[in-house]
Amino acid sequence: MLQRIGEAVRVGVIHGPGPSIHPVWFDWQRKQIRIAEVTYHWRNRVGEALLLHYTVTDGTALYELVYHPLRLLWVLEHLDADTP
Amino acid sequence: MIQRTILHADMNAFFAAVEQQNNPALRGQPVAVIGSAARTVITTCSYEARAFGVRTGMAVWQARQACPRLQLVVGDNRKYTWTSRQIVELMRQFTPLVEVFSIDEAFLDVTGSLALFGSAERIAYLLKAQIRHHFGLTCSVGIAPNKLLAKLASEMHKPDGLTVIPPDKIAAVLEGTPIKDLCGIGAKTARRLNLYGIETCGQLGRFPLEILRQRFGIVGEHLSRMGRGIDDTPVVPSAGAPEVKSVGHSTTLPRDISARPEMLKILLQLAEMVGRRARRHGVMGRTVTLSVRLADFDTWLDRQATLAAPIDQSQEIYRQAVAILDSLTLEQPVRLLGVRLSNLSHGSRQLPLFGDAPRKTQLVQAMDAVNNRHGDFTVTYASLIDVPKKGSHVISPAWRPDGIRQVDVG
Repeated sequence: MLQRIGEAVRVGVIHGPGPSIHPVWFDWQRKQIRIAEVTYHWRNRVGEALLLHYTVTDGTALYELVYHPLRLLWVLEHLDADTP
Repeated sequence: MIQRTILHADMNAFFAAVEQQNNPALRGQPVAVIGSAARTVITTCSYEARAFGVRTGMAVWQARQACPRLQLVVGDNRKYTWTSRQIVELMRQFTPLVEVFSIDEAFLDVTGSLALFGSAERIAYLLKAQIRHHFGLTCSVGIAPNKLLAKLASEMHKPDGLTVIPPDKIAAVLEGTPIKDLCGIGAKTARRLNLYGIETCGQLGRFPLEILRQRFGIVGEHLSRMGRGIDDTPVVPSAGAPEVKSVGHSTTLPRDISARPEMLKILLQLAEMVGRRARRHGVMGRTVTLSVRLADFDTWLDRQATLAAPIDQSQEIYRQAVAILDSLTLEQPVRLLGVRLSNLSHGSRQLPLFGDAPRKTQLVQAMDAVNNRHGDFTVTYASLIDVPKKGSHVISPAWRPDGIRQVDVG
């Protein structure tokens, strides 16, 4: 079941080559979560802001991270803890 | 005349396949995508779910009865529209002549690209490989000398098929193909044709043209050509597409409503969506149409008002829609409301000079500027503030990746 979280989080990211962004880990609830796979990514425009969405898994749960380039901000938007 | 080569690409169970890529736990599982609304139906489902008899349009309880292991996922339209746009970009590598038919289907005229890529089959394999590589998705591709046959071909092998109907095999393929398999022959037309003993395309193509003309009017000749696999319609990319005839939005309500204030809130929201889109693309319209569908599912009311001068401001559209609503006698609760602006003039704006019209225009421009920057409904009418989910939440069949038909769906 998808749970809305909506919390700003610290994310370790590999930029490049080129304009690509690849999240590698993020901190949440005093734990560092290593990203095993970026399962999907998409973009969404809200007004002038282009938001970059990444669905990621650590092998036990599924998370949706959103990067706001204009605000230089990462947000953990959703969590699906039922996912094996 | 040059023999054309047309590809039709059809994404397989598109929304469900995107969700299966998004969540690895759903891969190989029966998955159905549903809307977020309270009374939702199955929007689409994976092939694993189809094997159990789950179908698009089924009520959720029916689908669960057919497949108790069915995994339901609330669809995320932003994911699908973005993915669709990216896939269209991949298609444009092979030809600029790409006509988006719906969010998950497109035609490509590759006649001029064959020398560059070798063959239509190679283009199809490259496209399929790229879509799989970038998104993990599969599509079925049909290759034929025209759009009608290319679409028929893509339907023949699913999922992940590639079917070619070469010019010298058209008659043989059509001979036994049921007429209902042709795009453009719906259930009603098929039933009427069945009454004349026409079950297959071969029979349709041979049927006396005069009788088809007598029975179906101008469509009769078109049907005869379809039966023979003839279709001259070009692949029209969005830049060359004819100007739209109307701008509209409709919404199926979470529950049937009867109270006028509730309807007015919906109408104001719809009028703002129509007005915003019209202003963004520089169109104004003289006719406002209100569509109402009543709770019994069967009653559709479409009423319109035509004005002396074209309008594009949301409040004026709203006022007209309300006037139409007030002229109706609604004998049942309302299930769906829609507002449409038509009789359009493109790019001709008369600057308002008198009364408070210039100030109203400035106010709308200021609101639009804020909403363009921060997103739709950031600044809106006070009566809409407590409406939780504003904007469009359903991908219309008319959705296109660019131009006036591109609608941001939440």
